[in-house]
Amino acid sequence: MVRLGRILLKDGHGGVGISKTLLEFLVCPLSKQPLRLCEKTNCLISDTIGVSYPIVDGIPHLVPTDGKIIETDDALNSDGSVDLPAKRN
Amino acid sequence: MRRSIALWRGGLRLYCTDAGDGFQSSKLKIFDRHLKRKQRDRAAWLMKPKDSLIDTVVENLLDRLEDCKRTFPTALCMGGSLEAIRRLLRGRGGIEKLLMMDMSSDMVKLCKDTEQQMPNDNIETSYIVGDEEYLPLKENSVDLVISCLGLHWTNDLPGAMIQCRLALKPDGLFLAAILGGETLKELRIACTIAQMEREGGISPRLSPLAQVRDAGNLLTRAGFTLPGVDVDEYTVRYNSALELIEHLRAMGETSALLQRSKVLKKDTALATSAIYESMFAAEDGTIPATFQIIYMTGWREHYSQQKAKKRGSATVSFHDLQKQFGGDGSG
Repeated sequence: MVRLGRILLKDGHGGVGISKTLLEFLVCPLSKQPLRLCEKTNCLISDTIGVSYPIVDGIPHLVPTDGKIIETDDALNSDGSVDLPAKRN
Repeated sequence: MRRSIALWRGGLRLYCTDAGDGFQSSKLKIFDRHLKRKQRDRAAWLMKPKDSLIDTVVENLLDRLEDCKRTFPTALCMGGSLEAIRRLLRGRGGIEKLLMMDMSSDMVKLCKDTEQQMPNDNIETSYIVGDEEYLPLKENSVDLVISCLGLHWTNDLPGAMIQCRLALKPDGLFLAAILGGETLKELRIACTIAQMEREGGISPRLSPLAQVRDAGNLLTRAGFTLPGVDVDEYTVRYNSALELIEHLRAMGETSALLQRSKVLKKDTALATSAIYESMFAAEDGTIPATFQIIYMTGWREHYSQQKAKKRGSATVSFHDLQKQFGGDGSG
């Protein structure tokens, strides 16, 4: 039952593999500020420090060393259409 | 140039710890968390589906949930033997939402795969790859934090425990099992003797571990109320010292000291094994290894919890009490 529910929830999100309930628990491990889900690049973005954390197979990777620093003007871009891999630091 | 930096670092080592990647350099670093992550990846590949030592510890830890009257709808399970906790939970603690966190992505993936094979009924399980030292959890968000055999690898144990306390809701429970200082004492002795014999000196081969008396202090320092600590010692018997090392590898418990010596000479290793067997072997040829487990429980403060009254807040003098009851007793 639960899993079926989760699959439905996932579909509702348009293929982005992280459930809303999980997102409610998560914060940025460094700044402890809320994270924003960027559906285009499939990553979680901490706006306060401008770091993005990848989501792999529906599992968010929130180890500080896995995070990538986003360039300043991109971090402010709130529509999340940043092409992250090209702007890796 | 690189060599001179290495030398400089080596010289400095006497006085300060290696800053590693320069990250968080102000804090003391003992363990190489990056190496530990790799070791846990490896442990995920080597792990046997059932490990009697880990299963016993997990059972013992989860048993504590049955002693609590309340239920814990949301729980965070982090580090160490994740998979065993999920497997042995069996509805204890009334958990509805379970967050499983480990710093090794392979370990998390393994847990996710085993969950698909045998799902826990009525528990919504989510997975996170995260570091205990940088807990990515919102404040006041979970009712229970379980860590089984993981926290002894953190550089800043009080810091990690404070983060756990903050993640807990008021009246939330923190449950942890860590390895204590008596763990693998036989191996420590054998390593030291073998190194002195073969290399003429000793270097740390095994990680420093918390002592029992520290555990209570740790809980109070991290701000937990109603702290409880107890200790268990298990002796595991192996056919040879090499088998013990293999088991440690499969558990991801091999040394991850930042300042470890990176080579192990073959004859030193063989000498260690021989000394271990000659000093500690039982009559039947098996060798014992001690694992000391420290169980810690603590709660996040809540007004409903019992606590001592403030000093000087008493309204009745003990003298009067004795007069009252002492008089009753004699008359």
